[in-house]
Amino acid sequence: MAALQLLMLSIVLYAVGAVLSLTWSKARPLGSYVAAASTLMAALAGLGAAATVLAGGQAVAGEFPSVVPFARFSVELDALSALVLAVLSLLAAATAIYSLAFDRQFAGAGAGVLGFLNNVFILSLVLVVASANAFYFLVFWEIMTLASFFLVAYRQDREAIHAGILYFAVGHVAAAALIVSFVILFLHAGSFDFAAIRDAQLPPAVRHVVFALTLLGFGVKAGVVPFHFWLPPAYAAAPATMSALMSSKVAVYAFVRVGLDVLRVHDDRWGLFVLALGGLSALLGALYAVNENNLNRLLAYSSTENVGIMLMGIGAGMIGAATGNGVLAGLGILAGVFHLVNHAVFKGLLFLGTGAVTCRLGTASMQAMGGLIKRMPWTAAAFLTGAMAISAIPPLNGFVSEWFVYQSLFAAGASDSPLVKGVAPLAAAILALAGALAAMAFVKAFGITFTGPARGERARQASEVPGAMVAGMVVLAAGCAVLGLGAPAVGPYLARAASTVVEAAPITIRAGLAVVPGAAAGPVISTPLVALLLGVLAALAVLVAVLPGGSRSGRRVDESPWACGYAYSHRMAYTSAAFAQPLRVLFRSPYSFQVAARSLLARLEVLGTGTMRFLQRVEPVWERWLYRPVASGTLWLGRRVQSLQMGNVRVYGLYLIVALIVLLLSAAR
Amino acid sequence: MNGGSGIWLGLLQALFILLVAPLFTGLARILRARMHSRRGPGILQDYRDIWKLMRRQEVVPSEASWVFRVAPYVILGTTLLIAMIVPVLTVRSPLAMVGDLILVVYLFTIVRFVLAAAGLDSGSGFAGVGASREMALGVLVEPVIILVLFIVALLSGSTELGTITAKVVNGDLAYHSPSFWLAALAFAIATFIEMGKLPFDLPEAEQEIQEGPLTEYSGPSLALLKWGLGVKQLVVVALFLAVFFPFGTAVTPAPGPVVLAMVAWLAKVTAIYLIVAVLENSMARFHLYRVPIVTGLVFGLSLLSLVYYALNS
Repeated sequence: MAALQLLMLSIVLYAVGAVLSLTWSKARPLGSYVAAASTLMAALAGLGAAATVLAGGQAVAGEFPSVVPFARFSVELDALSALVLAVLSLLAAATAIYSLAFDRQFAGAGAGVLGFLNNVFILSLVLVVASANAFYFLVFWEIMTLASFFLVAYRQDREAIHAGILYFAVGHVAAAALIVSFVILFLHAGSFDFAAIRDAQLPPAVRHVVFALTLLGFGVKAGVVPFHFWLPPAYAAAPATMSALMSSKVAVYAFVRVGLDVLRVHDDRWGLFVLALGGLSALLGALYAVNENNLNRLLAYSSTENVGIMLMGIGAGMIGAATGNGVLAGLGILAGVFHLVNHAVFKGLLFLGTGAVTCRLGTASMQAMGGLIKRMPWTAAAFLTGAMAISAIPPLNGFVSEWFVYQSLFAAGASDSPLVKGVAPLAAAILALAGALAAMAFVKAFGITFTGPARGERARQASEVPGAMVAGMVVLAAGCAVLGLGAPAVGPYLARAASTVVEAAPITIRAGLAVVPGAAAGPVISTPLVALLLGVLAALAVLVAVLPGGSRSGRRVDESPWACGYAYSHRMAYTSAAFAQPLRVLFRSPYSFQVAARSLLARLEVLGTGTMRFLQRVEPVWERWLYRPVASGTLWLGRRVQSLQMGNVRVYGLYLIVALIVLLLSAAR
Repeated sequence: MNGGSGIWLGLLQALFILLVAPLFTGLARILRARMHSRRGPGILQDYRDIWKLMRRQEVVPSEASWVFRVAPYVILGTTLLIAMIVPVLTVRSPLAMVGDLILVVYLFTIVRFVLAAAGLDSGSGFAGVGASREMALGVLVEPVIILVLFIVALLSGSTELGTITAKVVNGDLAYHSPSFWLAALAFAIATFIEMGKLPFDLPEAEQEIQEGPLTEYSGPSLALLKWGLGVKQLVVVALFLAVFFPFGTAVTPAPGPVVLAMVAWLAKVTAIYLIVAVLENSMARFHLYRVPIVTGLVFGLSLLSLVYYALNS
């Protein structure tokens, strides 16, 4: 079947799944199974469509009947959108399987609505990815925002509603920026079609303004610093399946599509800006992630970090496109897009794993977890895979895309401009710093949640989640392994996707069992060989340990760890807050701490009770120094403007006359 | 270097480093003892320690899971893989077809990740402190290592280790270039930190940064871990030597030059251990929160090197 038919089939099936879960939710469990099966089939059809396009190497375009006269409902699947469609479909399939068991906890509390919203959300994402017309792009973008707003606010408690409203407001700041930029483009190109805009002769100033607006719009939606503040509350409130789907970071794809492919801004200053923005997001996102004690919020901050890494690659690619360096352009975009794909897979996996833990423990706070590896072995193994992938542990997928980011920075560092030569290695150092911080955050996330002693009663009594949820996680864990070990096989498709944006021939990515950065003679990494050698050498280590015969005397399981001769208590084990303590001291300024126990009152209390209550919280720096002034400034401005409106008819008449005079004067000139 | 002989040479390198690692940790112990005016153990003491531990029964805390049990094997396996990739005996990297210096840096991350995860898994408070400090130290050191290696790679035109080594041996990259010697200086200090020596780590106090996660280990697992960390020390030194002081390595992988290269490498490593011993024993331990003073200095050095690179060549 041709790609377009498959895409249509997939869209229809998502719609069917949405309607079915809404109408049949009473007839549980059969209704929910049919709805999930429909979603799963839709996802498979989407995968089929993407695979057809990727294997065929040809973009396919089509047109659906439009409902408005001024815009054509055109869709296009080229290598880039097919790739994003593929990863979206994979996430949809994994969450559909997962939700079979996961949604049971919402039985009687609107599980049908959840299924409906999830399907609408995926459907709108698919159409955003496939749209080749700015108007319809915006329509689906808006549907996506609405669906995700209801999903964020789904729990309907105070926290969720607050997060939902924040998300709604932020989504509309983004939408406003996009609407303005698309209207400007329409005025100049005379059409909403991406193809027409691409061919239009835009004045440079317009190009820059529109690019800035799209960067703002998509950046807000992707959660780059300083717009990262909405992610933690939204992810903490949303159901796990929704958080997993939101990890697809379609906003970054949309930025590449509109900002780079449609607008064709070839300016190395913008490239440097995007690179710097990416570096800042990567660094601060990782820094905030390390310090979180709530799993969902930790993952949210890490999303900011990973979007930063994607932007670093894309920024390097933009520098390459601007300076006519085809290899750099291809490498950078490839690195960014590859990281987008990988992030969707491992972050989706981590959110599903967190969802599994929270549905057993009733909380996402790591302070109440511990020891789950023995009670939830499958969830633990899947989460560990995701944690290692996101920490860029070779040979998993996160490492491969970060390697490509490094290689694109290397290529940028070898360019002629002294500025770029100086900035690129610095960006590499920032990436290394962010990577080390992310590794620390995820050692902590895995270690505190799944290993060590149980820190709470519910953690002690937890049991493994049902098979369907495990299966959903295993699908994505396998995705991490396949994208990592199979990098030489996947790489050429990514190179083709990158080449659609930079209008150059795809760069060389594969050399036998290894991937190369654009040229066959040069540095390589071969993830299959790394995996093989690590396996062989670890086996050698086992052999070394077994040969002298120590293992024959067996293994004695001691009752408890050593505690200086005192009786061991699980409260002696390291906590998540303690684990990150060195960083809170080392990076004091970005956190900006307040130790509440320093107040006089607290000291008096210590004297009275003999116990010291110690409270430390991370002060939201951005909120205090950026958003609060902006908000209060807006209110102040509002009040000033309000004084114009004094309720006196004669004054209003004066306003009219003044306005008339001004208009007449300006017309007379 | 074609694949087949590369693998064998790599295995030879790994085996060589594996076998001499306890020798050098023993040497460090003797040197420290002599500087403290003690006699110290024999130079072969670490071999005896490992052998003895290997034959002992293992005691595992009840909280620990399989993460705790597989960690020693993964750590030793990973450090051996690094030993196979870094050019030690020949100018070319034996496993150039497997990975470049970025892979090597991220292989060190595996060691760190697994060690910290195992420390948390044991449930011991001391292991937790060690795990946290190990990761924090990584945060301070890794950016410097990547920055320095990146600059040297840019100077030599490739991130492939063998290419860099060959350029330095040929004299295409030399110490009269300010960005090269500044990078060398910065990397030398970073190497020193990564070796886990005073003033950053106190090898005699078992609850310190590196030994912390080892608190609950015993028997063969402890032996493997001690050995693995010894190998790690040596490969950190090997990486420094390969990038900044590869003189004496064999140009062709023939038996004669390779044996000579082994001798030369042992001499260089002994010299480094002597210098390290002097530095280590003339300093008191740093508070962990003082480490940024040093890493900040190192980062400054590497920034200087970067400035020279960006403006000069």
